[in-house]
Amino acid sequence: MTLPPLHIIVNGEDHHLMVPANRILLDLIREDLALTGTKEGCGLGKCGACTVLLDGRPVHACLLLAHQADGCRVDTIEGLADPAGTTLHPIQEAFVEKGAIQCGFCTPGMINTAKALLDENPTPTEDDIKLAIAGNLCRCTGYHKIVDAVSACACGSGKGECHG
Amino acid sequence: MRITPLEYVTADNLSQAVELLDSAGPQAAVLAGGTDLVLNLKKKRACPCILVSLQAIDGIDRICLENGMIRIGAMATHDRLARHPLLREKADILCQAAGLIGSWQIRNAGTIGGNICNASPAGDALPPLLALDAAFVTAGTVGETVISARNFFTGPGQTRLPSGHLLKEIRFPCPPANAAGCYMKLRRRKAVDISIAGVAFQAALNEEGTQVASAGIALGGVAPTPVRVPGAEDLITGRSPKEALENARAIGAACVAAASPIDDLRASADYKRTIVNVFAQRCARHVLTTLKEKGKPQ
Ligand SMILES: Cc1cc2nc3c(=O)[nH]c(=O)nc-3n(C[C@H](O)[C@H](O)[C@H](O)COP(=O)(O)OP(=O)(O)OC[C@H]3O[C@@H](n4cnc5c(N)ncnc54)[C@H](O)[C@@H]3O)c2cc1C
Ligand code: FES
Ligand code: FES
Repeated sequence: MTLPPLHIIVNGEDHHLMVPANRILLDLIREDLALTGTKEGCGLGKCGACTVLLDGRPVHACLLLAHQADGCRVDTIEGLADPAGTTLHPIQEAFVEKGAIQCGFCTPGMINTAKALLDENPTPTEDDIKLAIAGNLCRCTGYHKIVDAVSACACGSGKGECHG
Repeated sequence: MRITPLEYVTADNLSQAVELLDSAGPQAAVLAGGTDLVLNLKKKRACPCILVSLQAIDGIDRICLENGMIRIGAMATHDRLARHPLLREKADILCQAAGLIGSWQIRNAGTIGGNICNASPAGDALPPLLALDAAFVTAGTVGETVISARNFFTGPGQTRLPSGHLLKEIRFPCPPANAAGCYMKLRRRKAVDISIAGVAFQAALNEEGTQVASAGIALGGVAPTPVRVPGAEDLITGRSPKEALENARAIGAACVAAASPIDDLRASADYKRTIVNVFAQRCARHVLTTLKEKGKPQ
């Protein structure tokens, strides 16, 4: 049985690729598409460093076969800032401003989860934020500044635009 | 961590899926969300030659109420279950359990069907399904079978799923309005951790709102399979919630008697028994107090 080409829309761009069945989505993103913003921490679904948005919902790219994403939108951190590469997304701005980034290894996954949360709930409480990012480990910041950064992006927080 | 080369087919419909499973035999594995299976492929704990993905089958993730039965398609994800308005209203115990699974990422990919077929003794959806008297509808080339949740599990990772079949749907009688349920699980950290022990407690009043008419109590993580505890249920049914509440300690003891935990890395058998006792009593107090409120004449 021959596997049909995989069709995925990565950061808004259509890709039709011949991909072997045993290819993990994370490897496809990092190696075949050279989008190395998505990180591999544990490779076991436990750390969240590999979080991408599949049709808008956060998932672990390390635990998905590439073909499971067939026909889906895959959004990685590279697609978040404006395409010209001149302005960061408000969530990225907030992470920088609040000091929510130290080594930065968890940041792409963390920001993707935060983006999905804010898209579905523009006014999350602190508990909503903590619950949403519970699967994203950070070994540096102690989380407070991350929660601050996400809170700062909530509608009505008085900061920047509201992306709901 | 690389995966050994294998074949992959996305089934267009149920009959194609069961035909593929039938012709490939034990070499084939059903792929749902992959949160267990892809991990097992990576760790070389599973080595199927062909994966049959159910992802594209129309309607296999449907959640609905029909003729008094709640029906949940095997491919419904934990995140959908946790938030589903019908389930929140009628069978909140299942939403509670689904919402406690893994992380948001795991809940977005992992399915109830995968949780059932993986048959981990600690699978969080399992005790609530036993407590709700669920039945599993499986599909094969020669037709469907219905197996009660109570009889489905035979050991860790072992089920009565007929060979060549896939799990299609979960069904249970829709609990009445004057029912309540509670699921509690012990884990070492607040997220992304499987349960060390879990207690599911579901009960409903009679129509007059005076007595507990039915109860389902089930344990997870403390035996080779999830187990029902009829001995604890008998201490509740036929009694007013107030009377039943007086049996809280005996309910805890009956649950401990039904558990056969082992010492492992997560906790000692003794500690698991203590937790079963405490959680069973907490669940009992929570559910029976809620029922007492619901039973009050308006
Ligand atoms: C980091 C992490 C945390 C986790 N935390 C929890 C937790 O807290 N609680 C918990 O209960 N589980 C947990 N799990 C386990 C897992 O996420 C769940 O068991 C999940 O429900 C599996 O569903 P899936 O759709 O991903 O199944 P898959 O991985 O696709 O399949 C699992 C198994 O079931 C079979 N299968 C799947 N669907 C069917 C079907 N319809 N018919 C026949 N066979 C089928 C597959 O062949 C495979 O053997 C965790 C996993 C990870 C990686
Ligand atoms: S790399 Fe995927 S969860 Fe850790
Ligand atoms: S900033 Fe280093 S892991 Fe989060």
